Amino acid sequence: MTLRFLRNKVVEVETRPDGNLAVSWRLTDDLQKAEVNIVFQPPQLEILEAEAKMDRFVPPDCQSASELIKNIEGVSIGSGLRKIVAGLVGGENGCSLLEEAVLESANAVILNFTRPGIEFGESVPDDDEKLKLFQEMVKSSPRLIRSCISFQDDSPIMKGLNL
Amino acid sequence: MITFSRSQVIRAEFLDDNTVCFNGIQEDHIYSMEVQIEVRISDGEILTVKGDMKRYTNFVCPQAIPVLQTAVGLSLLEEGWDKKVMREIGRKGCEHFAEVIIECGRCLKKAILSKSLHDALAKDPALDQEKFLLKMSA
Repeated sequence: MTLRFLRNKVVEVETRPDGNLAVSWRLTDDLQKAEVNIVFQPPQLEILEAEAKMDRFVPPDCQSASELIKNIEGVSIGSGLRKIVAGLVGGENGCSLLEEAVLESANAVILNFTRPGIEFGESVPDDDEKLKLFQEMVKSSPRLIRSCISFQDDSPIMKGLNL
Repeated sequence: MITFSRSQVIRAEFLDDNTVCFNGIQEDHIYSMEVQIEVRISDGEILTVKGDMKRYTNFVCPQAIPVLQTAVGLSLLEEGWDKKVMREIGRKGCEHFAEVIIECGRCLKKAILSKSLHDALAKDPALDQEKFLLKMSA
């Protein structure tokens, strides 16, 4: 059966020599084509620059995406980001696609920092040591607590942690 | 150098006039997930869900596969559906499964629109596509 709709989405994080993180978010499907580029500056992960380009069928709410995206410059990744971004580029009269792009770019930055820890865990052959490593990880990253099935109270990883 | 990358591919097949099947793949440097959901077009209700966890980070992760079934019965057209998916599938199961289902859900209206445009163009190749899409999405 042939397809009536196909969407491809890519988000990439590039670590620049100056330590800043350049995120490229791109979407293409039968109707839309969009690109958002954001530069984050560690350690606060402040957004230094943001650009957006929409093409093909641009929804009416996203006609001014290239100007709207400038509203997020100066914002840092942290608690409340979802609400802040919704207020700046999304919401009732905003561009929901832009809101998704910014949040997914921020999520990619977080995963970019998560990757080395996961890679280190893979190099630990002993299961008990590996379990301890996951427990240390959740202790040092409270945002993980109850974030998914692995970190729910009844998970073997959480056993005895009292978090 | 690219230090993290994620790709999502969502495809839609219309099984009949009132059912669309989405297949969603999410591949990144850490995780790899695939879901397939059948959705009733008239009310956006998820009829069936299947999922496969191909790459994950710890031994508890695969326990999230049965949690996917809690998506059955949820409507992708109801207010706050995406938050519900993240709460029920993401937090109680796997966040990355939830992300793929949410992307499939976001594609529902677009897939219907795309099919309508495809059908309309078959009847009238000279159709003003922009005008058609604006009218249909209003």
